[in-house]
Order: sequence, then C-alpha cells, then structure tokens
Amino acid sequence: MGKTKYIFSVGELKRQDNSLCYRKEGTYASPNHIPIEQIRELYLMNEVSINTKLLDYLSRMGIVVHFFNYYGHYSGTFYPKEYLISGKLKINQAIAYTDPRRYQIAKAIVNGIAINMREVLYHYYRHDKKMLKDFLDYCQSVESLLEKQNHIKHILRVEGSLWARFYETFKHFLKEDFIMSKRVKRPPDNPINALISFGNSMLYTKTITMIYHTHLDQSISYLHEPSESRFSLSLDLSEVFKPIIVYKTIFELVNNKKILLAKHFDKKLNYCLLNEQGKQIFIKAFEERLAKTFKHPVLNRNVSLETAIKLDGYKLIKYLMEDKPFEPFQLKV
Amino acid sequence: MNITGTLMNYYFHCQRQCYLFGNRLNLETNSEDVKIGKVLHELRSDGKDNAEISIDNIKIDKLTEDYLVEIKKSDADITAVKWQVLLYLYILKEKGIHKKGKIEVIEKKKTDKKIIYVELDEKKEKELIDLIDEIDTLINQDIIPPVIHQPTCKKCAYYEYCYI
Repeated sequence: MGKTKYIFSVGELKRQDNSLCYRKEGTYASPNHIPIEQIRELYLMNEVSINTKLLDYLSRMGIVVHFFNYYGHYSGTFYPKEYLISGKLKINQAIAYTDPRRYQIAKAIVNGIAINMREVLYHYYRHDKKMLKDFLDYCQSVESLLEKQNHIKHILRVEGSLWARFYETFKHFLKEDFIMSKRVKRPPDNPINALISFGNSMLYTKTITMIYHTHLDQSISYLHEPSESRFSLSLDLSEVFKPIIVYKTIFELVNNKKILLAKHFDKKLNYCLLNEQGKQIFIKAFEERLAKTFKHPVLNRNVSLETAIKLDGYKLIKYLMEDKPFEPFQLKV
Repeated sequence: MNITGTLMNYYFHCQRQCYLFGNRLNLETNSEDVKIGKVLHELRSDGKDNAEISIDNIKIDKLTEDYLVEIKKSDADITAVKWQVLLYLYILKEKGIHKKGKIEVIEKKKTDKKIIYVELDEKKEKELIDLIDEIDTLINQDIIPPVIHQPTCKKCAYYEYCYI
C-alpha cells in the first residue's frame, strides 16, 4: 500500500518521464523528484499548478488527488478512472438503499459512532472526570433508542443529539481557550470549530481514497442522502472514525499544548482558521494516528487505522452481497 | 460468459475466488507474489515478438513452432495450471491451430520437473467442456460459495474480504 504525499507550498507539479517533479515557486534550487510507485494519494494544500499531462498520468497510476485551498477548505478531488467495477455489487448497492437494509446500515453507523465516542471519553472518565458518566451512559443507550426507529429522519435525529451531547462534554476536559459554545460550520467561527472542520474534511478525503480501492459506488449512501455530495458514501463510512481519528487527534493536540491559540491560528480572522504551521502540526498528528496499527481480532494480523477504513468498505460489500450484518469499526472489541 | 484462463485456474483451488473474480469483484492486490509473477513474465518475454498474445479472452505467454508455453512462478497448484493450459489449447484448436502445451515452472517445490508437458486428447477435451459448463453455472448463481479455510487463504488477495 502506498503513502500519502502532501504539498504545502505554492509551486508547480508536473510529470517528468515516469516520475513526479515538483518545483517550489521562487526557488532556483533543483526541483524535487517524487517517485510515483510509492504514492497512493496526493494532497495539494496550496496553489499548485498542474496540467492535463500530469492528470492523465496520475489517473493511469490510480492516484487520488485532493485539493484544499489556501484557507484549508476542501475544494475537491481528482478521482481517477475507476478500476474496480462490479455490476452485481452496484445493483445490490442501489437496491439496498430502497429496502429495509438502508435502516440497518444507518443504525449500525449511528450506534458505531456512540460506541467509539464512549471509548474515547472513557479515558477522561477514568482520569477523574466523573461528570462524564451521564454521557457515557447515554452512549450505551443509543442502540435501544435506535431499535424502534424505522425512518431515516428519526435515525438522523438520534445522531444529531448524540453529536450535540458530545460537544457539550468538551467543557469538562478541554483546555479553556478551546471550549466551544456550539458547533458552527461553513465557516467555523472559533478555533475548536476550525479544527473540527479541517479534521473532518481530512478524514472525508481519506475515506474517498480508501473507497476508491474497493468496488463500492461512492455516490450511493445510506445514512446521508445520496444527493448530499458526490462522494456521500464517504460521509457515511467516515462517521464512526471521527471520534477515534479526528477528535482524539484534536484532544491530544490541544491538551498537550501542541497546538496553541496564539501561535497556530490566524489572528486577523478572529482565530477561526488554522495557519500553515497549524495545519502541518494537525496533519502530522493525524497521519501518525492513521498509521497506528492494532492486532485485528478477526484477521489476526496487524492492521492500521487507515486500512480499517477500507475494511469497513469490505464489510459493507459483504452485507450487500452475502447478507453478513454490517458492523462498523469499533475501537475496542 | 467467456471463461478465461484465470477463472479456470481459480476454479481448482477455490470456487469462492472463482465466483468473485468472475463477477468482477477482483480485489486490489498487495501481494508480493503477484508482483513477482508479473515481473517474471516481463523478463521472460523481453524483446521477443511472440510474447503475450491475446486471442479472444485468453492471454498466452508464448507460442513456439510446436508448443504453447505457460510460465509460472511456482508449481504450488499444478493441476490448476494444467487445466488452464488445456483451455488455451482447446481455444486454439477451435481456430485450427494445433499445439501441445508446455508449463515452465521457475520455482519447483512439489514436482521435480521444471518443465511439464500437457496434451489435449479426446477424453480431456470432454472433461474440459464439462468444466467450462460448471464454471459458467457457478458464476451465474446467486449464492457465493463459502470460504474454504485453507492455509493458502492467508496469502490470497481475497483474505481480508473473506475473513472480515
């Protein structure tokens, strides 16, 4: 499995023979050659010039490219030509959206979020934050709350209240400057919202790449409406990983003072945007977390969290093709 | 449904793999062995004009005056390879090309020969036609064959999918 390459500076990326060549703007040093064989995806985090010759080559090599603008907002993905296509699966994927399997999948995802939130916050509970008890209990009740629901709106309502209560708990264990009043998106209006938005976009794009390497159709989703986004299945599958990957990274960076309000946010914009250094710190921690491996209880081999996202894709295929109940990833089994 | 050499080969060691592959659920392969196999084919055929010929839905490694040659990294499942070659011989025969089969094994472990010869006779041809029918039925059925739980599963590209 290949690696992820990030480009943070302004410059030009092109194809040179069978390798990638990057030249940073305003430097006269020799350009940086990036061997293509090791790369699986590219993140362009700034204004990088490219041409179709490069895109054609990246497509041939099956490399997914994610574009973010200068402000750290996700602009879009260059999605190479599909190489794994199964007609039978695609049909099953579409049919499942229209039958009761949709609710099964949606409920499994929402319950999965609750289980993983509980696992993440249990750490603070153990370290004397006893006021988290109510929330931890609530997480455990989500499964029974979902049981009777057979309407997507009701499932989404459970999900909404789960996230709202989760944000509520931040005041108990997060450093003061970062305590949030409420979750605000597009654009985020305070530093913690900025971190969450950036982290969620990063995870979303990671999931797009992982699903690219399965046969799943990115546009057919179950919890989110397929019309929500071109890659709405990524919205679905990334959901249970948010507490483990995005929020754990944020809590670690904030509470260990690795990310500071004064240093890593843009003052001019009311601290609502990460600056370049802030983005780099976040991405470093984010990548380290994704690369962390654990012994997979079923496969009995070491698996990284990143691979676990793809395995959730496989589980979904298995549910659609072979009726094996879909149980999304849990931090601890 | 056109039966390919790969399908014929898979049918012998795992019907589940054969089904999934036949239904285009060919998983992304990170297998080192597959990569080695690809390089071996490239090395063997480098600079020769008779390298890898595509006829209908099959790909033939090499054709010589008398032989159709199939190159394999290992002799782990020689029965499967034999039937793969017989399928190729049959397809060629249908086109009026009569050849004998030759399997070149690079790493021998189970057999003591590096080169194995196969020929398509009447009896084998009958068996082959039955096999093609069986594979066709298998792939078109709705139920996916179960996991075979063999030690070789661990090396398979489908391992993660089958066992998760």
